[in-house]
Amino acid sequence: MLKVHDISYRHKEISILQGISFDIKQGEFIAIIGPNGAGKSTLLSYISHEIKAMKDRVFFKDKAIEKWSVKEMPKHKSKFSQQQAADISLSVKEVVLMGRYPYFNGEPTENDLEIIGQWMKATDIWHLRERLYEHLSGGERQRVHLARVLAQLDNEIEQKLLMMDEPLNNLDVAHQFRILELVKEQTRQKNTAIVVMHDVNLAAQFADRILLLKNGNLAAFDTVDEVLQEKIISDAYDFPCTITQNPINNQPLILFGINNKI
Amino acid sequence: MTKKVRITKIALIAALILLVLVSMFVGAYRFEHGIIETLKSLLFGGQIADSDKFVLLQLRLPRIAMALLIGSALAVSGTCLQGMFKNPLASPDLIGITSGAMLFAATTIVLGEHFIHLFPDALTYSFLSIMAFLGAMLTMSFVYKMSSSQGKTNVVILLLSGVAITALSGAVTGLLTYLSTDEQLRNLTFWTLGSLSGANWIKNLILFVVVAVSFYFLMPKGKSLNAMMLGEKDAEHIGVPVEKTKKQIVVLSALMVGTSVAFAGNIGFVGLIVPYILRLLFQSNYVIILPLSALLGAFILLFADTLSRSIVQPSELPIGILTAIMGAPVFIAILMKYKKSM
Repeated sequence: MLKVHDISYRHKEISILQGISFDIKQGEFIAIIGPNGAGKSTLLSYISHEIKAMKDRVFFKDKAIEKWSVKEMPKHKSKFSQQQAADISLSVKEVVLMGRYPYFNGEPTENDLEIIGQWMKATDIWHLRERLYEHLSGGERQRVHLARVLAQLDNEIEQKLLMMDEPLNNLDVAHQFRILELVKEQTRQKNTAIVVMHDVNLAAQFADRILLLKNGNLAAFDTVDEVLQEKIISDAYDFPCTITQNPINNQPLILFGINNKI
Repeated sequence: MTKKVRITKIALIAALILLVLVSMFVGAYRFEHGIIETLKSLLFGGQIADSDKFVLLQLRLPRIAMALLIGSALAVSGTCLQGMFKNPLASPDLIGITSGAMLFAATTIVLGEHFIHLFPDALTYSFLSIMAFLGAMLTMSFVYKMSSSQGKTNVVILLLSGVAITALSGAVTGLLTYLSTDEQLRNLTFWTLGSLSGANWIKNLILFVVVAVSFYFLMPKGKSLNAMMLGEKDAEHIGVPVEKTKKQIVVLSALMVGTSVAFAGNIGFVGLIVPYILRLLFQSNYVIILPLSALLGAFILLFADTLSRSIVQPSELPIGILTAIMGAPVFIAILMKYKKSM
């Protein structure tokens, strides 16, 4: 459903991405991980067509991303951005309603209002709906945008693409899991999610495949078990780590900074 | 919420109608038979003195119409610009658009004096408004290029560009006073402070076309302006054609401000006051405040104009003085709010 073919990107003479290619199938949960400055956000910006550099490099549903119409695209894919505006003088529900802008002209329909209500409950901001967005805390704002982005994809179209750039920042543990569950649920419904995240363990727990970036290069792109190898991870992060087994669910568990081989 | 919007809308329309009626009969000239009688005779063909008819149809009504048109034009362009620059201080006068239009219009008036009377009125007025539009458009692009990079606006640069252009415009207008005749000088002075006394139906027709076209494109922009508060990239992700929207706002605001300046001179602060008041009621929801700003702008300017020609009878006060008296406190209030949030 998403094909990325040999993308490279330079900004002010500094190379940020180098010759990255990969394919993503429908229903996959892809976690993009990697150290700071590896190009994770840039890669996501490229895929989401925020960076309009080379043509015919990103194909979404077999159609080059730049050929999609501005009106149609938002119903097929949405993106959660890392940096959130702080000064929006609107109520929470007005901000969430923006996710429904592609669907109505003039006044929102009953259906639109119902949908934003559901997602506000799902992201645990229903009690904040009348509050002013600018008075919220960082984590609350984060959830407002998550609700907005998820409400945007609430339609009958199949195989949608959800892109998220560090959606878990500022969130407490309970909300982190809650959000990842919502994303996982999207992928169970044959939608695809590409999520940039920092917590490797959470990535391991939720993702189907992990895309590891280092210095703008694709260091690894494979299943969780294949990518979470001590050598691969400690090389990428330039930091020692140990991989063991989670005693409860037997999934790989990564511990940084501990390396009994030193 | 929608109920509150509807009530505000109805209240504004009612107040506007009432104000129009009051404004028709306020002024130095007194009608022979009082308000109701004169209006009745005019509408249903009764007895009406020629002078009454003239004052009403050729002086008062065109002036009222012009106040409504220019008031709504300035307010809507202010609201749109504030949305585009994401800042409540980005009104056409503070960022220098008005001055740019003034500069071009004043030059046209003084230097074009010798051949301007060769053409019919409609052409002269159109030419003047086109020149003012050009001035507004040029300053707008200049200010925008100066203050924006990568979708973000530097507010300090934005306002200081406005200061620079206002200074330049002031200097050139000052220079023009040396070149102008006494008659022109009086016009120029009155005009730099703004006045609706030059209203006539031809100007109103031009203004009406400008306002109608601009509103046709700008009024549905509420959602786009809201979305742009998220940031331009995120706005694009929810289907807002950001670049196209910005271009339309730039061109159409310049058109509205330019035409207003060409016909009524420098009427400041309307584009600042109106969105400010509406934001107090409805926050920054442009879907709501964009149409309301047209109504409130019309109301405020007609109110100011009615006041300007009734408080120092039989003379009149330049309207720009009144709008500045209303506007300066708003300006300070916004600054104080800013300081708090810093």
